[in-house]
Amino acid sequence: MKESIIRVLGKGISARETFILLTVIGLVVLFYFTSFKHRFLSSGVQDTIFTVAPELGIIVVGVTLLMIGGEFDLSVGSVSALCALIMVELYGRDVDPFLALVMVLAVGLATGMINGLATVKFGIPSFIVTMGMMMAWRGAIYVATAGVTIRFNVMKTHPAFYYLLVGKIGGIPVQLFWFVLITVAFALVLNYHEFGNRVYATGGNKEAAKAMGIKTDQIKIYCFVLLGILCALAGVMRATRIRGFYAQQGSGMELMAIAAAVVGGTSLFGGTGTIIGAFLGVLVIIFLEYGLIVSRVPGFWFRAVLGVLIVIVAVVNKLMAKRRGLS
Amino acid sequence: MTKTPLIEMRNIHKWFGKVHAVDGVNFAIEKGEIVGLVGDNGAGKSTVIKVLSGYHPSDGGEILIEGQKVQIKSPSDARAFGIETVYQEQALVELMSVARNMFMGREPVKFARFLDRRKMNECISVLHDLGLSIDSPDLEVGHLSGGEKQGVAIARAMYFKAKLVIFDEPTRNLSIKEAQTVLDFIEGLKQENISVIFITHNLYHVYPVAERFLAMRKGKLVDDVMKENTSIEQLTQELVK
Repeated sequence: MKESIIRVLGKGISARETFILLTVIGLVVLFYFTSFKHRFLSSGVQDTIFTVAPELGIIVVGVTLLMIGGEFDLSVGSVSALCALIMVELYGRDVDPFLALVMVLAVGLATGMINGLATVKFGIPSFIVTMGMMMAWRGAIYVATAGVTIRFNVMKTHPAFYYLLVGKIGGIPVQLFWFVLITVAFALVLNYHEFGNRVYATGGNKEAAKAMGIKTDQIKIYCFVLLGILCALAGVMRATRIRGFYAQQGSGMELMAIAAAVVGGTSLFGGTGTIIGAFLGVLVIIFLEYGLIVSRVPGFWFRAVLGVLIVIVAVVNKLMAKRRGLS
Repeated sequence: MTKTPLIEMRNIHKWFGKVHAVDGVNFAIEKGEIVGLVGDNGAGKSTVIKVLSGYHPSDGGEILIEGQKVQIKSPSDARAFGIETVYQEQALVELMSVARNMFMGREPVKFARFLDRRKMNECISVLHDLGLSIDSPDLEVGHLSGGEKQGVAIARAMYFKAKLVIFDEPTRNLSIKEAQTVLDFIEGLKQENISVIFITHNLYHVYPVAERFLAMRKGKLVDDVMKENTSIEQLTQELVK
């Protein structure tokens, strides 16, 4: 298995990933020089980055899987918030946090199932279904909380839960280990597992996959479900880290997640993408966000720069595909 | 005692709404036989084949394989009975490698259903047997020519030891040279005693390779004739009546 991991990582570094990797390195160098007192590489900034990146990254891994399978999910931010809210509420009712986490992961699974079933059984574009669910869950959150922040001080009552999810090992945030673990697991599944082969086939040519006996609807539902579970985990992670829940939690995350996946080389049309690319895509987006902050660039610039970057990456991806004769 | 045919379609019907796409079709295919299923566009030839390959369930009639009545409800069922279908450019994923395409939906697996890559890479020898000069099983199918793509689909059928291979318009969109390659592949299948149904509306492509012709018109089978008893002109007359 060890060899497989190395092979996955080695094989994952294709021309496209090299381009993203160079972008990551370029951003690090750029922000090192532009940041106030070269603070971009300071331990404080790096600590912040590696604490926040996994919360987006874990979702991006799932989004990438789903996009390779040919579908979208715009409800990831709302689902992660909904799951965080349920976690906090269960905790408030004295449910053991580990049990509550299992229940919340089941909620994530159920939301993915709803998205998946509505998409494949009724043939509605997932863009529409998940946009509806994004609004519905967010609306429900506002109704339930009336916009009031809820405290979630699990660190004091259940330190084991806190440290397992968002503690530190050797000064490195535990979230980063979770993110890397999930990335490696999904990369292995996509590249070396029967399921991964069927996800690529479903996204690459649904009719062909069907003709070869692949249950494409089922594959898509599994992708939605896995993403739902990852959203739940990321949502709980954030609530645990910030020790509270606020109604806007995770809003805007859906576009960030799709942006990271696209920057990482995932096609909007399905069938193409890698988890390694997605991992690097997350780094690009988070480095960009925090690099601009420590360079004292007004925060609004982040959206503008990100937007331009997405377009550039999409153009480069298209040109690379053309060069390979696969336009 | 008469020989049991490989496949028998008895009184097959298929409706699409009010359209009677297949209207009481009967035919049999012998082992190792190459049969041309011909008809104009919309004659129902692809539909009858989609019933046999499990893509559409039939609305009536029965299918017998080697004398046994069978239910074919999905493409997986059909393949389990040794029926492979080679669709024109439909059954391959261009973005995936040759090996991944070969085993799509039937991946050889090891522990915990992880892919058996070594077994998957064996497909290259079947491709070489067919005369395809594809260097690596990791090559993306999108890089192959139309004829080579058909070759991969045919190699897939051969690898899984199909008893019957159905070609749905295999020469459409191919250059003359590529079409000839595909016709050579079909001849090769006969050597292996694999039966072939070749669906086309191009009689000039099917005529040299087929031994028998089934002609369809408006959902009905209108002719079932051996090659020595007909000609391209006669078949054309039958189709345009």
